[in-house]
This record gives sequence, structure tokens and C-alpha cells, in this order.
Amino acid sequence: MILGIARKEFVDAWRDGRFRLGAALVLVLLLVSGLLARQQVARAQGERDAATALERKNWLEQGDKNSHSAGHYGVNVFKPTSPLAVFDRGIEPFVGTSVFLEAHRQNQAAFLPAQDATAMRRFGELSAAVALQMLVPLLIVLLAFGALAGERESGTLRQILSLGVRPRQLVLGKALGLGATVAVLLLPAAGVMAFLLARAAGPEATGLWARAGGLALSYSAYLAIFVALSVAVSASTRTSRTALTILLSIWALNCIVAPRLASDVIHQSLPTPKLAEFEAEMQKGVMEGLDGHDPRNKRLADFQRDTLAKHGKTRVEDLPFNFQGLVMLESERIAGEVFDFHFGKLWDRIQAQDRAVALAGVGAPMLALRSASMAFAGTDFAHHRHFAVSAEQHRREFVRVLNEDLMNNARPGDHRYAAGRALWEQLPVFRLEPLPVHDAWGAARAGVLVLAGWLLAALGTLFFSAGRLRVVNA
Amino acid sequence: MRTLGLELRLFLVERAMWVILALFAGTLAYGIANGASVGLAARASADAAEKETFEWNRQVREALERQALDPRQVAGRPTIALLPPAPLPALAVGQSDLLPAQEAISLWRLEKPSEGRAELENPSRLLAGRFDLAFVLVWLLPLFLLAAAYDLCAGDRESGTLRMVLAQGVTPWRWISLRALARGTPVLILAVGAVLAAGTMTEERGVGTRILLAALVVVVYGLFWLAVAALVNGFARSAAAAATAAGSIWVLFVLVLPTLLNVVVESLHPSPSRAELVAESRAAAAEAEKRGNELVSSFYKDHPELAPAGMQADMTSRMLAVQDEVGRAMDPVRERFAESILQQQRLVDLWRFASPAIAAHEALTDLAGTGYWRHRAFQEQVTAFKGVVHDYYSPKFHKRQPLTKADVSSFPRFEYVEEDTSRWKTRVTTGLIGIAALAALAAILAAFRLSPRKLAA
Repeated sequence: MILGIARKEFVDAWRDGRFRLGAALVLVLLLVSGLLARQQVARAQGERDAATALERKNWLEQGDKNSHSAGHYGVNVFKPTSPLAVFDRGIEPFVGTSVFLEAHRQNQAAFLPAQDATAMRRFGELSAAVALQMLVPLLIVLLAFGALAGERESGTLRQILSLGVRPRQLVLGKALGLGATVAVLLLPAAGVMAFLLARAAGPEATGLWARAGGLALSYSAYLAIFVALSVAVSASTRTSRTALTILLSIWALNCIVAPRLASDVIHQSLPTPKLAEFEAEMQKGVMEGLDGHDPRNKRLADFQRDTLAKHGKTRVEDLPFNFQGLVMLESERIAGEVFDFHFGKLWDRIQAQDRAVALAGVGAPMLALRSASMAFAGTDFAHHRHFAVSAEQHRREFVRVLNEDLMNNARPGDHRYAAGRALWEQLPVFRLEPLPVHDAWGAARAGVLVLAGWLLAALGTLFFSAGRLRVVNA
Repeated sequence: MRTLGLELRLFLVERAMWVILALFAGTLAYGIANGASVGLAARASADAAEKETFEWNRQVREALERQALDPRQVAGRPTIALLPPAPLPALAVGQSDLLPAQEAISLWRLEKPSEGRAELENPSRLLAGRFDLAFVLVWLLPLFLLAAAYDLCAGDRESGTLRMVLAQGVTPWRWISLRALARGTPVLILAVGAVLAAGTMTEERGVGTRILLAALVVVVYGLFWLAVAALVNGFARSAAAAATAAGSIWVLFVLVLPTLLNVVVESLHPSPSRAELVAESRAAAAEAEKRGNELVSSFYKDHPELAPAGMQADMTSRMLAVQDEVGRAMDPVRERFAESILQQQRLVDLWRFASPAIAAHEALTDLAGTGYWRHRAFQEQVTAFKGVVHDYYSPKFHKRQPLTKADVSSFPRFEYVEEDTSRWKTRVTTGLIGIAALAALAAILAAFRLSPRKLAA
């Protein structure tokens, strides 16, 4: 019986010209956004590859110079784009695309793509993810608001129930039919997406399918929540007009109001530090030690004393290596601790804010979905942090090799010492290992859990509303 | 007038309407508070930067009172170029959370990529955007207006009372338009009140025109949505159908068209590649570095008046010559870069009339002083200021002239000059006329659709 009702609902939906129009629009938007995003992501990647190649050339051809000067010359590394950014670009336009790696300093990723675009960016991006997050739920609402309230209004509900159809069968059948309608609408789009992914996926794209699976699950749950809620509301209201008003309000709160409201409220209680304070504290940490009682000068003096004692010498000139080089290594190590502490604190705070927004998804499921979606697509802050941390590791390794060269090969006091291309070639090109799938699921966890909770609650509401289905609602 | 008063009274006895008005007032208040706090933060960080600059200038002045200084002791220290807080920050956060309002400028980094000091911000927050007054006015105001006015006669048609009403001898368009106005007026009064309130939250003087224009933009934008409500009611056979149609139009204008325009702009004039610009400027620097000595001697050949005794270049003059060369190589690349971004914005300016939401948002951020153009003017002035810094120090280095007390008065100082009033007024007025034209178009279509003959058919 349920299947019969579902089939009838399914056929009805597809016969409705307005639904077909809406569905066609959504499909066209999905397709257009997918194709354009693919083009944009490919262009961005091409530009970064070209820049990486040019930077490598700059690095190798910098000429002979002191190896520590080469550390100051530094190198720019560029953030690779995630293959799934085609689906959801997430925060990509709002994070830096390159980091300058140099001696003594940990720089932040600079050059946000959104800074080099018009203010139109702030209206939001046309991506498949946004279409699924905002437009498809609206389509579901418009499709479902009259499902039961309309039958009640026109008097057919009484007739159906008098035929011996159980309310639960009717409500579940309607929900199932609507769900199938949406699924049939979206399956071709998902198929196209999977095809594009399969073509784009290189050998290094391990875990891509596990990520795509996570996306499919999250979006299915989100849309199912909307189907269940819409039918439940339609079952419980007197007129289809009331059902529509309630559902449109829910949609607007969820899709339009919640993202900005949640982000503003959460940042009020978990503020991001000010740039000036952040920099001052970092500077202070470098000069005075993390606890503020261990000045850099004293540490380096102690270091000199200990080193001389270890080698049984009294003058640094008598050491079997260039002491300046060793001091550079030591001061990088000291500074590294301070950078790790302060950047770690900043990034932890940003991730805490993001997690709080995902958890605010308890009030608006889109917040949870967006968080999960960006995590699976590899375009959330966890992935950006992974890039920043990897770049910093690369910097430390790169500076270490240069300083060790100074230490071992430059005679003390020889200011004309110069290393050359042979050394520059020893330093590898930066390559970002993709964040393991396991970590992507970790980043998505809060969002996925909240969505699962919503799904259970929405299905529960659906059952409950079915149990209370009345021919006439007071 | 009597019809209007009657409709207004009818409207205000509905409890749902009071709920709508209360909700709207609440969101407006929250939007203002949020925008104002962003404005206060901008003020605080501007004050800090000004204090820092003042302090440094004082130190230099005092040092110069005592003795002459080697310019190297002063030139390396970055000067902060500051974009003062926007004239109406509480109206719209705009691009101010994304684009830096401060830039550190030092002689030795003139040709390095710009060092904008944007505040630390969670990128997800930039993605979401702020819940500011402009958001409430551009995104939510239409929703509240449509909630108040989506059912102008569709419900009457559904229940059959439309015939009765029309039998009273009132022409449908007149009745519907007055009804729309009656239902929209309380919402619009709140919106205009909010704009005026936001206008008081500034220390800037002479912002009256900005406030007035912002209020006009809001009213005209509101009228557009009321005209849409009237138009929808000319077609819809039921209140639910009217709500569906009105909601879909909102989605089209506020969600879909702006993002489509964004995509079109990006495809026609792709944002230039920062990555390549960075790598190219390093390549130019390396090239110039290799020819450093040659550059310096040819420079002295061209500028014998700047050559030190014996034509011996030292480290600093060599560095300057190299930097100048990098600038010569990179200027055309940077100009192309700036040009393509300008092209994007021109396209947006042209196509903003595709949706009144875009036009209204552009106008409000422009009036607030947090939009594209004010930041662009800042960037242009920063570029010009780099030239000033260069021209001030360069001869002193080449001629090895020390800085003396007499130099204090001609020290390079950055002072942002606000854009010419007539320019933003022209942009905003054009936007306003565009929105008004769209509103008039919707109203004419509605009047046509609501002619007695059409309605009878």
C-alpha cells in the first residue's frame, strides 16, 4: 500500500509542470556550476603549477651565495587545489594561496582570491554544493507543502482514509514518493559528478571515493530531513497555506539567516585575536621565551657555554665547525617552539569556532551539512591548516639544510663563503601530501553527527505526525 | 486616501502582522549593533596605527633635534598607510572585513607584493558574511515585505470574495496598489528608521546626503518588492500559489542572479593569477640582482647630479638601483593585473541592474564607504605614496646626504584623500534610478495585469 501511494505521489510530481520547470532549473544550475567550477579549479591549478615551476627556476638559478642568505632569499610555495573543490569550493576563496618560506619567520598564507575579485563574491558562489544546500530544499518544500494539507483542504483526505488506508501508510507513502522524486531528479547529476571525478582523479587521489561517499551520505541525509519535515508539517496543519508559510520560514531561517547569525554570535563569544596582539605576543615569545622568563640572549649565551664545554674548547673559533651556523640552527629551534605555540593557539581557536558553528547545526541543519561538506571536499579549515603546517615543516627542513651547510662548510669568519646550485638542488620541491581520509572524516564528524540526529528527529516527527493525522485539524 | 487608511487599519489588526513587524525590528536592531561593533573595531585599530605612527615620528624628530641621522636608520622602518574608518560603518560591513585598511610601506620593500595588514579572521566567517544592516535590508527586507503583502487579492480570489470587493466599484489596480502600500508602509518605516539610526553612529560630519540616499535606496528597493507582490497577485489563483511565486522570484533575484553574475564575470574576465605575479616579480628581482653593478653605473650616467663623489656605489645605492629595475619590469604586469580587476568591477556595474538586490547592495556599501571603490581609491593612493617614499629617500642615499632637522617638515606622510563626492553620488544615483526603473516596470506589468478586462478573463 505504501508503495502504491509513493508511486502515485511520484507520478503526480512529475506531471506537475511547475515542478518540472523548477527541476529543470535546478539541474541546469547544477550542470553549469559544475562545468564552470571545473574550469576554474583547473585554471587555478594550472596557474599554481606554472608559478611553482617558475619559483623552482628562480631558486635554482639564484646564483652562488652564502647558504644563510639563500634562506633569506626564501621560496614561495603554492597551495594545490582539492579535486573535490569542483563540487564545494568552501573557504578556498577566503584563504591564502601561497606562503613565503624564509629564514627566521613563519609567514601566514597570503593572497586571498576573494581580495582579487569584486564584491559580488560576497553574494555567494554558484556551486553544486550551494544548489543542493539551498535550492533543492526549497524545491522540496514547494513540492511537499500541500501533500496532506492540500488533500485535507479539498476533502480528499476524508475519502482516502475512509477507504481503509491507514494514516501511517498514507504519510509514509507520501514521504517515500517525494523522496523518490528528488532522488530521481538528482541521480543523473550525481552520476555526472562521479564521472567527472573518475576522469579527474589521478593516481594520488586516494580516498577520493571515500570522501565522495561521505558527501553523498551527508547530502542524502540533509535532503531526507527536508522531505520528512515538509510532509510532517503538511500533515499537521489545517490549510496548505499555513503549511507553506511555516515551511518557507523554516527554509529561510535555515538557509539565509542561520549561517550569518551563527557565525556572528559564535565569534562574539569565541573571538579571534587581533592581528596586532597576535604579532606582539609572538615577538615577545621569540625574544623572551614562551614563559617570558627565558630571554633569547641568555639562552644563546648558555648554549654557547654548553657547546664549548662539550667540545672542551674555550673559544668558538676553535670549534671544529662554524659556530654561527649552529647558532642559527638553535635559534630556529627556539623560534619554532614559539611559532608552534602561537599559531597552534590561533588555529585551534578558528577550528573551535568552526566546530561551534557545526554544532549550532542543532538549530539549523544547513550549518552541520556545510561543515561536513567542506570537510569531505577538502576545502575547510582543517585542510587549510594541514597545508600551512606542511609548508612550515618544509620551511624548517629547508632552513635546517641551509644552516647545516653553513655550519659544516663555511670556515669561521669567512664572510665570502658561497654555496651554489649543487646545494640548491638538494632541497626538494614542496609537495603537499593529501590529508588522510580518516582525518577528513574526523573534521566532518561534528557535522555528520548533528545531521544524523536531525534525520532521526525528522523521521520521528514524521511518524508522530502520521499517528496524529486528522481529517479536520482544529 | 480613505482606502489607504482603511487597509492600514485592517493590516494592523492582524496579529500575524505585529509578529512580522516585531521580528523585523529585532533583526534590524541586531544588524545595526553588529555593524556598529565592526565600525568600533575599525576605529580602535586605526587609532592604534595612528598612535604608532605619531610615536615614531616624535622619536625621529627628537633624534634629529639632537643630531643629523643616516637615512638608513629611518627609511627601513615601515610607515603605515591608513584607510580611515568608513563614514557610515553601521550601514554595511561590505568589503571592510576582507580588504586591508592598513598597509605597511618601507623603502626596501616598495617592489615586494603589497603588505596589506588585514585583521586575522576565520575564513568561514568571511564566507558566511556578516549579519549587518545591509544584509537585513537587501536579503531580509524583501522577505518581510512579501510575508506582509504576498496575499493582496489571491486569497480573495480563492475564497470568492474578490467579486464582492470589485463590485464596490473600486478599480482593481488602485485597490491592490493601495493595499500593497498599506501593508508595506509599516515595514518600510522601520527600515528607514534603522537607516537613520545607523546614520547617527558615526563621528564623521556631513554624512546627511549619504543617509538620505541610503534611505531612498531602501524605499525604492522596497517599492520594487511591493510591485512584485502586486504582479504576482495578478496571476495567482490561490494565496499559496502567490506565496510560491513571490518566494521563487525572491530566490531568483537575491540568490541565483547575483551568483550567476559572479560566475559570468569570473568567466569573461578571469581574476589574474597572484601566484604567477609573485613568481614573476621574484624572477625580475633575480634578473636585476645579477645586473646590479651595471644598473648602478648606468643610473649614474643618466643622473650625474645624484652620483656620489668618485662614482663609487655602495650597498644601499646598488639595492635602490636593483629595486628600481624590478619596478620597471613589474609595472606593466601589475598594471595588467589591476586592469583586469577593474574590468570585472565595470562589468558588475553594468550588470548590477539584472537584479535590484545587486544594485541596492552596491549602493548601500558605496554609501557606507565599505565598498569596492573606496578600497580601490586607497590602493591607488598607496601606490602613489610608494613613489613619494622612493623619491624622498632615493637622492639622499645616492648623494649620501644625512637627514637633518630641516627634513622633518618634508617627511613622507600618508594622508588618505576621500574620493570626490560627485563620483560616488553619480554611482549611487545611477543605481537608484536603475532600481526605480525596475520597480516601475514591475508596477506597470502589475497594473496591466490587474486591469479589469484582464482580471475578468
